[in-house]
Order: sequence, then C-alpha cells, then structure tokens
Amino acid sequence: MSVLSRLNSPVFYLICGGIIAFVAVICVIFAVRAYRAGKAIGMDVTKMKRTIIASATFAVLPSVGILLGVIALSGSLGTPWPWLRLSVIGALHYETQVADVAARSVGLEGLSASGMTAQAFSTIALLMSFCIMWGMVFCTISCKAYSKKLNAPKPKKEGGGKGSGLMAFGDQAMTAMFIGLVSTYIGSYIGSFVSGGEGGVLSFTGSLLPLCVAVVGALAMAVFIFLKERHKAEWIDSFSVAGSMLIAMTAAIFLGKIL
Amino acid sequence: MDKNMNPNPNPESSVLSDEEKQALYEKYMRSTHALGRLFSILVLIMLLGAPFLMGSLLGALPDLSAAGKAFLGVGLVYLISCIAEYLIYVPMLGAGGSYLAFITGNLINMKVPCAMTAKDIVGAKSGTTENEIISTLSIATSSLVTIVVLAVGVMLLIPLQPLLQSPALQPAFDCVVPALFGAMAYKYFRGNMKIAVWPLAVMSLLFIFVPGLISSVSMMIIPGGAIAIGLAYWYFKKGR
Repeated sequence: MSVLSRLNSPVFYLICGGIIAFVAVICVIFAVRAYRAGKAIGMDVTKMKRTIIASATFAVLPSVGILLGVIALSGSLGTPWPWLRLSVIGALHYETQVADVAARSVGLEGLSASGMTAQAFSTIALLMSFCIMWGMVFCTISCKAYSKKLNAPKPKKEGGGKGSGLMAFGDQAMTAMFIGLVSTYIGSYIGSFVSGGEGGVLSFTGSLLPLCVAVVGALAMAVFIFLKERHKAEWIDSFSVAGSMLIAMTAAIFLGKIL
Repeated sequence: MDKNMNPNPNPESSVLSDEEKQALYEKYMRSTHALGRLFSILVLIMLLGAPFLMGSLLGALPDLSAAGKAFLGVGLVYLISCIAEYLIYVPMLGAGGSYLAFITGNLINMKVPCAMTAKDIVGAKSGTTENEIISTLSIATSSLVTIVVLAVGVMLLIPLQPLLQSPALQPAFDCVVPALFGAMAYKYFRGNMKIAVWPLAVMSLLFIFVPGLISSVSMMIIPGGAIAIGLAYWYFKKGR
C-alpha cells in the first residue's frame, strides 16, 4: 500500500474528523453563550440574527476557495490532513508554503506525491502545526490581560469628557488598520503588474489579473452600496461582500482568457 | 454598559438594572477567558499530537531535527507575523472572537473581514460589549460554515474533483483574495480617501521598486497599517 493510500485510510479520517468535530463544538458553545449573553444584557435580537445570516452568507464563498486548497494539497498529503489544517487554525495561502519548505527540509525536491514517505509526512504535518500555532499560544497566555488593558478606562484629560483620548480614537484606528491592510494587498497587485514580471522593475510584464479582479470587486461593491442607499435596503449589506466576490471571481474566468 | 446598547431591549433583560447587566457581562467575560484558554490548550495538544499519532500509525515519527531546521527557515517569519496579528486583531475581534479566530484560522481571508462586515452592518463600535458579542457570533458562524462546507466537500471530493479542478474555473478560485480585497477597498476607502491614498501610494511604490517584497505581503501589512493609523491619529488630533 502506498503512503498516499495509507494517508487516506479511514483511521486518518477519524483522527482528523474527530479534532474538527471538537472545534465545531467549541464554535457552537461560543455562539450560544454570546447569543444568550447578548440577549441578557439587552442587545437587539434582530441585530444578532442579522449578524449570523450575514456571516454565514459571507463565509460560503471563501469556504469554497478553502475547499479548493484542500483539494490542491490532497494530491501530496492525502485528504484528511489538509482537511484538518484548513478547517482548524490554518490559512489557505500559508499551508502550501510551509508544507513545501518542510518537504525540502526532509530531503524531498518539494511537495509532491511521488517522493512522499511516512516520515516526510509526519515531519511536514508537525511543522505545519508548529509554525502557525503562535496566535493561539499568545491568546492563551495573555488575551485576558491584553483585553483588560484595551478596555481599561483611560484617565480623563483636561478639557476632555467621556470618549476623549485614545479610547475615542480606537474605532477609527481599527478602520485605519483595515485600510492599511487593504492598501497593502492592492499595492502588491499593482507592484506585481508593474515590476513582478520577468522584465523586472517598471517592465509592466507581471500579471494584471489580480488587479483587474480587485477593480471588478470594487465596482461590484459600488453597485451594491448604490442599490442599498438608493432603495434604503439594509438587507443588501448582508450579501454585498459575498456578491461582489462572486461577480469578481466570475469575471476572473473571462479576464483570465483575455489577459 | 455602553451607550451603544439597543434602545428597545428584550423584555427579559429590561427587568435587569444596569448594575445587574454589567455583572452578567463581567461574568460572561470571565468564563469566556476560562473557556477560551481551556479550549486553546486542548486544541494545541491535539494539533501537535496528531502528527505523532499519525506518524506512529505509519511507523515513522517526525524527524525533529529536520523540523527544527525548517522552522528556522520559515517558522520564524510566521512567529513574527503571528505576534503582529495577535496585537492587531485582538482589539478588532474582542476576546471571544479572538480565541475562536486563532483556533479556527483563516483570519485575513475570512474571519477579520467577516467580523468587520458584521460590525458595520449592526453599527457596533470597537471595544464595546456589543462588538464583543457580534464579533464572537460572526466568527463562530463563519467557522461553522467553513467546517460544514469542507466536510461536505471532502465527502464529495471524488465526484467534485473534476469540476472544481477544471482549468476553466481555476482563475476564479485563484482570485478569491483579490476579489475580496477589491470589494473591501471600495467599502473602506469610500469616505476615508484622505487616509487611504497615502498607504496605497506608499505600498504601491514600495512593491514597484522593491518587487522582492511582493512575496512578503503579509509582513508588509505592518508598515501599511502603521501609515494608515498614523494618519488617522493625525486627523483625529487635528479635528479635536
């Protein structure tokens, strides 16, 4: 029996499926507790239901993308392990890179099914777990103290009232952080096109596809926001991000043929 | 309690005084931290134990020295990235949302945008009790959807594989992240252009003139975010 067949054996599905089921239970526990707590402290139940619907619709498309990551990795690592990694803790863009580096460190030419050995697999699997666990570790060690610090009331400054100082800036800072994050990704698409091709800096030979797809996504979002504001239809918000992504991803199929 | 609370609270909660609600919320937060820590430790043990368990079933335990070497090569980058993510996302996601998000992963491409979208839809402000609840609900829901989609997908993997891996659909799934960030760019840049124009220009020029940085885009979020936050603070101080 080949290593790949053994990696796809029922016992491996059982191990990985068991961990995923455990994490699903954690999600249910947190969701139920948050819903009950929200209700108890007087939050609008409609808002909480809208959050659940919006988050569920939002998550469908990226989840399909993540599923494709499972499929992509299943050729070399079997199906159960990528299924676990991308359901729990992992990230689509991260897993392949770490798996490839790990494969090279155990003497393989790269991540491939042909050279995979039992020890190579277990080493790759360990490294994939070890490299990205730190967020969870930091949360375990210091989330309580960090949250306390973030929520601690700041001393009032002269001339300031409630909501003054850094606390009042907090919400703007988070929006700004997200603007910085989005700018960085959009900037990388511009940089990839202008200087990322074989011709090097300012050669304009890189891929234009990600940038064009981002533009289509932005235009689609503009239409959704226009429709929402024009018709005062707040419900459109629940579908605007997923809808824009779907339109942009569909456009990518056609743009990929042209560009 | 923050003033962002619902003006028409639930009938059940309206009988509680503000002090009782505050006490309830504090109790909720204490148990959130306790459960978050417990579950994180259990998941960590499972994730680190699984390779050894699988290795023993295969008759070959992990090569620890090779894993150590590889960690020095790539793991340190992710360690630094994880520190930055932790510092940045905990204020965004709240405590409950953070425990869940770091357990379930896919932060950049799903959990953070999902929680931000939910927060915008209901109009919750960062650092409020409402944000804490909304963020936890949002991340739990999106994680469950991912788990279900992946479980169904894995079950259907063999018949689905030809369709999903068909070359015609590949450009669509290769572009999930640009599609997401394009949509989010419009949403967040709109009304904030005086802030957005600078990180966008600086990061674009940086990637154009140092194309080697394109592969480290996750690390470059730090300077991009710092520029945007710095500008936002400057405008905040100027406007006060």
